[in-house]
Amino acid sequence: MVRNVFDSVASKYDLMNDAMSLGIHRLWKDDFVSSLKPGRRGPMKCIDVAGGTGDIALRILDYARETYADRETSVAVVDINGQMLKEGYRRFKKTMYHNTPQVSFHEGNAQELSKETFPDNTFDLYTIAFGIRNCTSIPMVLQEAHRVLKPGGTFACLEFSKVTNPLLGSLYDQYSFSVIPLLGTILAGDRESYQYLVESIRRFPSQPEFARMIQDAGFSTGGLFEGKGGAWRDLWGGVACIHTGVKL
Amino acid sequence: MASPPLLRAACALVPTHGFTRRALALSALSLPQPHEQPLSDTAINALFGEGDDARRTLADAWLENAREEVRGRFQGRAQVPRVNEVLEARLEANEPVLRHLPEAFALLASPTYPLPPLDPRPGLKHAFKVADDACRIAGEATIGTDWYVRRGTLAAIYAAAELHQLTSPTTAYAFLDTLLAASATAKSSLDDVGTFANYIARSWAGIVRSSGVF
Repeated sequence: MVRNVFDSVASKYDLMNDAMSLGIHRLWKDDFVSSLKPGRRGPMKCIDVAGGTGDIALRILDYARETYADRETSVAVVDINGQMLKEGYRRFKKTMYHNTPQVSFHEGNAQELSKETFPDNTFDLYTIAFGIRNCTSIPMVLQEAHRVLKPGGTFACLEFSKVTNPLLGSLYDQYSFSVIPLLGTILAGDRESYQYLVESIRRFPSQPEFARMIQDAGFSTGGLFEGKGGAWRDLWGGVACIHTGVKL
Repeated sequence: MASPPLLRAACALVPTHGFTRRALALSALSLPQPHEQPLSDTAINALFGEGDDARRTLADAWLENAREEVRGRFQGRAQVPRVNEVLEARLEANEPVLRHLPEAFALLASPTYPLPPLDPRPGLKHAFKVADDACRIAGEATIGTDWYVRRGTLAAIYAAAELHQLTSPTTAYAFLDTLLAASATAKSSLDDVGTFANYIARSWAGIVRSSGVF
């Protein structure tokens, strides 16, 4: 199902993201990456799962290079969907990172990453942005994340979540159930895929539930509350949310 | 909360490293299964908050730890301790980190937003929690308004003694005792005033009633 949905939207994925979120997803992604500060204390080995079009990978590499003059940080981009990876590959060809050890593309399932390519205790940073809700089994994804991270490595997830403010919540519901499928029909000619996107957001566990799932996978997190020193940070009142955990 | 072992380990490092992100980073080296390297900045951000927020988390954890230490010290004692002893024990717990404490309190009092310039709430909360703990350990059974008055007084006294301790550690205990004694005297005088006022009021009420006006 997920494969089909993303196969059908791959070419217009970025355009649609911009249209649906009115460009806000770029702010969220910038915020997400800058909060992780990749490259602050020397080069990091990062893995970006479900990162087909390379949005996060590119931001990580740019951030490390521009802020800390770090050209050694590397990102392995993993996606289940070949079409999306191709888009990402094409995009990276336009950048200076093409054909360098800084970036690599792998087709793989987040729930069972191959042990040869991704051995245990390898990465310093695991990112997954707007991807985990499309996986069949979230606990399995988290376990794999825990496996490939080094002790002291960080798991960071950017995902749509539950809006906490009821007023904003009803506006957001209106928008996502009427405008988004319509935009899907007009811009991509594919209503069902976008209907699926909206519904998958509603099915995703709430912030505290997801934080507990992260803890159950063996990660340490901050306290079970929103904000500073907490396990998650809401963006735009919970439309999206950044969850973090550390493997100890 | 999933990171108390780390925070506990970090609290043990406060006397040498202060309330710094470095202390938090090094805490991973003293876990039951020690890491080879200190925690990365990314990991500290993820667990304890960004920038100075991580230090605030550490300062809060240290204060909580100190209270726990005092509770543990008096637990299982046959004789119920007096409030003085409990507050003195709490001041003693400050001693190993005394030179870092002003910084910690400054950090807690500095707000994350530009306004207001000073946030007194964390300090008040800290003093009140210490006072509350002291009352509970000393088994004080006050209720109603007395409950608040007693805790409020003790919190003010403790806060004053702690401030005194920051500048003059050796005389802080005597200062605490003086304050507690003074507050006891003040309380008994206030009680006397209350009794007297009550007596006068009742007499007047009696006179008015017997005068036949109502």
